[in-house]
Amino acid sequence: MGTETETRTQRDAGGGRSGAYTRSVRWLETLDESQFAYLLLAPVFLLLGLIAFWPLLSTFELSLHADRLTGATRVGEFVGLQNYVELFTGQKALVNPFFSLEQPLQSALVVTLVFTVVSVLFETVIGFGQALVLDQDFRGRRWVRVAIILPWAVPIVIQGMIFYLMFQPGVGFAVGPLSDLGIISSQPFNDLGSSLLLIIVADIWKTSAFMALLILAGLQSIDRSLYDVARVSGASRVQQFRYITLPLVIPTVAVAMLFRTIDAARVFGLIEASGAGCTTVPSLSCQVVTTFFTIGRYGTAAAIAFTTAGIISLLVAVNIARLARGGL
Amino acid sequence: MPRDSSRESGGRRATRRRFIAAAGAAGVSAGFAGCLYGTTGSGGETVVSFGFDPSAAQAVGDEIRALFHEEGGLSNDIRITFEPGVQDSGSRRDKYMRQLTGGEADPDLILMDSGWTRTFIDRELVTNLSSFLPQDVLDTVESEYLESSLSTAMGSDGSLYGVPLFPDFGVMQYRKDLVRNAGFQPDEDDWATEPMTWERFSQIMAETLQANADEEESLRYGYVFPFDSYEGLSCCSFNEMMTSWGGAYFGGRDNLFGPIGERPITVDTEPVVNSIRMARSFIYGEDDDAALDGYPRISPENVLSWSEPNVHNAMVNGETVAQRNWPYSIATNATEENYGTDYGVMPLPYATEPSNAQAEGTGGTTSALGGWNMTVNPNTEVPDAVREVIEAATTDEVMLGLFRIWGWLPPKLELLRTQAARDIEPTGRYAETLYVAGQNSMPRPVTVLWPQESSAISSAVNGSASREQAPAGAMTDLKNELQVIEGST
Repeated sequence: MGTETETRTQRDAGGGRSGAYTRSVRWLETLDESQFAYLLLAPVFLLLGLIAFWPLLSTFELSLHADRLTGATRVGEFVGLQNYVELFTGQKALVNPFFSLEQPLQSALVVTLVFTVVSVLFETVIGFGQALVLDQDFRGRRWVRVAIILPWAVPIVIQGMIFYLMFQPGVGFAVGPLSDLGIISSQPFNDLGSSLLLIIVADIWKTSAFMALLILAGLQSIDRSLYDVARVSGASRVQQFRYITLPLVIPTVAVAMLFRTIDAARVFGLIEASGAGCTTVPSLSCQVVTTFFTIGRYGTAAAIAFTTAGIISLLVAVNIARLARGGL
Repeated sequence: MPRDSSRESGGRRATRRRFIAAAGAAGVSAGFAGCLYGTTGSGGETVVSFGFDPSAAQAVGDEIRALFHEEGGLSNDIRITFEPGVQDSGSRRDKYMRQLTGGEADPDLILMDSGWTRTFIDRELVTNLSSFLPQDVLDTVESEYLESSLSTAMGSDGSLYGVPLFPDFGVMQYRKDLVRNAGFQPDEDDWATEPMTWERFSQIMAETLQANADEEESLRYGYVFPFDSYEGLSCCSFNEMMTSWGGAYFGGRDNLFGPIGERPITVDTEPVVNSIRMARSFIYGEDDDAALDGYPRISPENVLSWSEPNVHNAMVNGETVAQRNWPYSIATNATEENYGTDYGVMPLPYATEPSNAQAEGTGGTTSALGGWNMTVNPNTEVPDAVREVIEAATTDEVMLGLFRIWGWLPPKLELLRTQAARDIEPTGRYAETLYVAGQNSMPRPVTVLWPQESSAISSAVNGSASREQAPAGAMTDLKNELQVIEGST
């Protein structure tokens, strides 16, 4: 390497180039390998930064401006953090959810957290179970695999329509029995509790397969000889699971949960497609969309969007910290 | 293979530089073509893009285009291209909001729901037509068009920003054959033009249901109406119910369009609460905690999640005696293949006479005002052609033609009293009823805050009608919520 560098320097120096060029080349030659690598990667970092952070900063900048509901100017004057203060103190008039909490933003936060925690938890458990089944060698495994993965292949709009048709009063077969049992109300899409339950079930139905696939990858990366040794040592299946499978697959489960948490925290499409709608199930993303497009409060919508991004970043940071510690 | 970027092709050497030059030239040409498209068509005519109703554009777009030229006198140098919006009105509003906020020049002419035209006016996103249209056209519109329809297209400064293409009025549609079987005489008693009370109506429906239950296997309901938690509830089906009781959201007719924050909020008054109690009586019967005496159970609980298509289907399937719907439903049900002349239409019932109404300008039969207005994109590059299209739309021939082709009512209400309108089958048969409904139409209170207020109202009314909360308590909570929204500008 040293020889190559020497040759390069000699070639450039003897090429009759300008002084600045020569100085640049010399400076480059003084960089160590990792610095040189970062320098080469700098344009990519810059581009990624622009793509990832410029919209975020732009949204933050918009969130510092007042709403302007009339007149040709779309954005009001600079108001600092006033939008955030009003949002968190409940002074902002948003599209109020069909929900008993008085403050729309807090209601949306609660709805989003309930959806995220419950759906991710169930998806992880069910996905783990499905992955364990798929990891076994048995006759018809291919068909079971197709059956498990099929819901994941269904587009979100179709998935929404399936649940809409199942739970729309007068149309769906599921409303009467479940309503009689007191599990859902007779108008499930007009009731927050029932709608939230149905959306969580719909999400679990679809996305458990995604978890299963990720966890299956983790299971299949475990060295099979460990099980052979365990069997020879007389370990039971439960002991094999507890002392080999579980510890070795936990990092994969944690990564899968991280992906799903990020995805669940921004839920919107399923709510709209299922017939419940953002008025009945006001997630944070719903509040951003209705505040921006329906009522045209651009500053407020930006503040909610930035807050949502902050919450998701926090969830990601917590998960990454846990991953770094090697646990769930 | 040589390390040269050039390739032999057809005897010519294509280098990278040549390729870039060619691509650049093609891009510039396409750019020019793009700029030109939209102003002139292939035959040198001026093209006006018209953001339009998707069903009408698909089914009868060519007929409507021909109507504008042949009967509206639109120059053959102008070609209308219909740009169908999505069917859902709210989604169309959001799309136009994005397009106009972004300064797009397309579409040149936009059909806007009378329920949200004001939002665009207040945001200064549409052209002021008072300084755009010729004076004679303005005079025609301002003096002959239905006033309530026109009010949805005017700014707070009194200027005109939209020209109604067609209005819509909620009406009661019912099966004459069934009510006759129950011993009633709709024709002799002038049901078509003499509105009845809600109490009498509900009793007639209950008796009719009972009298026909054995013969009509599919018949299950007396009356169905759209009462889902959506815009159609707050703007229309509940608005007209409440108004017919003498109630109002904001004190009365004078305060429909403001002033925001200074108008009284009157959703907790007795007429409004009673109208919800009436809905609960219809759905749950007189045993319900909040039911009114004398109003029997005539409706299914399903109406709490039904919008207009569900209600329409119940009538088409023979499941109901009566439905509250828009006139489009007449065009389907009153044809000879369906109920024919056994299909009846009457003005919506009422509970309080206008003279006894608590809120100003309310009481009596009330039809929610729907319909669509033509507005002009301020960024249009073909203003003269757009002006001519609007002028054509204001002729009697085009208005009657739209009624004939697609059932769109003329915004000039007097046209409904002409023989030409009555001769249009099947909807023309009900022109007198539609005239009465039009005269008693009530616009929704649209301001820039209406989307928020509408959402709050529909949630509260639907929740209370579905027995989640007592009507009086729900309306008190709603009043507080509306006060916060009204104070938020």
